[in-house]
Amino acid sequence: MATPRTRPVEDSISKVGNELAVGEDLAFQRRWWRFETTIWILFALILAADLSGIFGRGPLAKASAKTADGTMKLDYERVLRYETPDVMTIHFGPNAIQNGRIELWVSESVIKPLGNQRIIPQPKSSILDGDGILYTWPAASHPNSVSFALAPSAPGSQKFTVRLESTGDTITRHVWVMP
Amino acid sequence: MTAVYRAIFGYCFLVLMVRVVGRRPGRQMAPFDYILIFFIGGLTLTGMVSDDRSVTNAVVQVVTVAATHYALTRLRQVWPKFGLMLDGAPVVLLMHGQWRTEMLEEMRISQDEVMAAARAQGLTSLSEVGYAVLERNGAISILRAGSVPDAAEGTGGGEHGDSAHAAG
Repeated sequence: MATPRTRPVEDSISKVGNELAVGEDLAFQRRWWRFETTIWILFALILAADLSGIFGRGPLAKASAKTADGTMKLDYERVLRYETPDVMTIHFGPNAIQNGRIELWVSESVIKPLGNQRIIPQPKSSILDGDGILYTWPAASHPNSVSFALAPSAPGSQKFTVRLESTGDTITRHVWVMP
Repeated sequence: MTAVYRAIFGYCFLVLMVRVVGRRPGRQMAPFDYILIFFIGGLTLTGMVSDDRSVTNAVVQVVTVAATHYALTRLRQVWPKFGLMLDGAPVVLLMHGQWRTEMLEEMRISQDEVMAAARAQGLTSLSEVGYAVLERNGAISILRAGSVPDAAEGTGGGEHGDSAHAAG
């Protein structure tokens, strides 16, 4: 008949007051408390970073860029969050309107990694054009603005470009998508 | 594939959080401590599951969490230092009529909580307590004065209890 493996009991647990086997490790405990303090400081920094917008959705995340003559102005967020809705808005000056319409070329990255869900207002036409899409809106007078509702589908650094066809003005930016 | 990484990250993050937040699970938990457990669990879940509500994702993540848990328990077994980091060590709070104030402060345990554990053992005052030990699982073991080393009865099943629930 098979027998279980055995070994004699050893008094291996360290004792407190030379009488109670507790296994207390004061040196480790003090190191752990120092580690805990560091972690709490890290937690505080994470909270501060989030409130300030370093992780997106806060004041520091908001950014804007415009062309030299102000024909096109881009309001966007430097830091986005994975699969979380966000809006990028492009404002157009009077020079952006040509033949009663605005034509805007947008790189494919706005569609794919940055996850464009819809465009407000809806463009009259959208044409595949190289590595991007050319959108056209009828426009009578300014101010005009177009918003892209985004929900990024890939974390990490993402680059996008928008180009105004009437003037050739281009804005290229990098954004960071938090996982 | 990202479901696996999300599950591993979520599990390890929760282990760290529960370990750092304090050693108060199970019987030592006050009602407001439950809020913490529900919240950190629920909030971590949203990130782990993401928008993938498929059964496949659920199965993959449950298997991942189980495998990560198994790996940590094996690691704890073969590497005692790791076990110490994961579970902590028992801490003596009171010894022969002397509070160990450093322990009480650092473990955020009040004298009332020690007395509550003593009452559960039928003791009527702190002067009857020989030792009060905060165990790995968050329970406070009370040893009656004069009972050491013969008696070793505690409220939480002793330091070698189920350390899978240990968090302090």
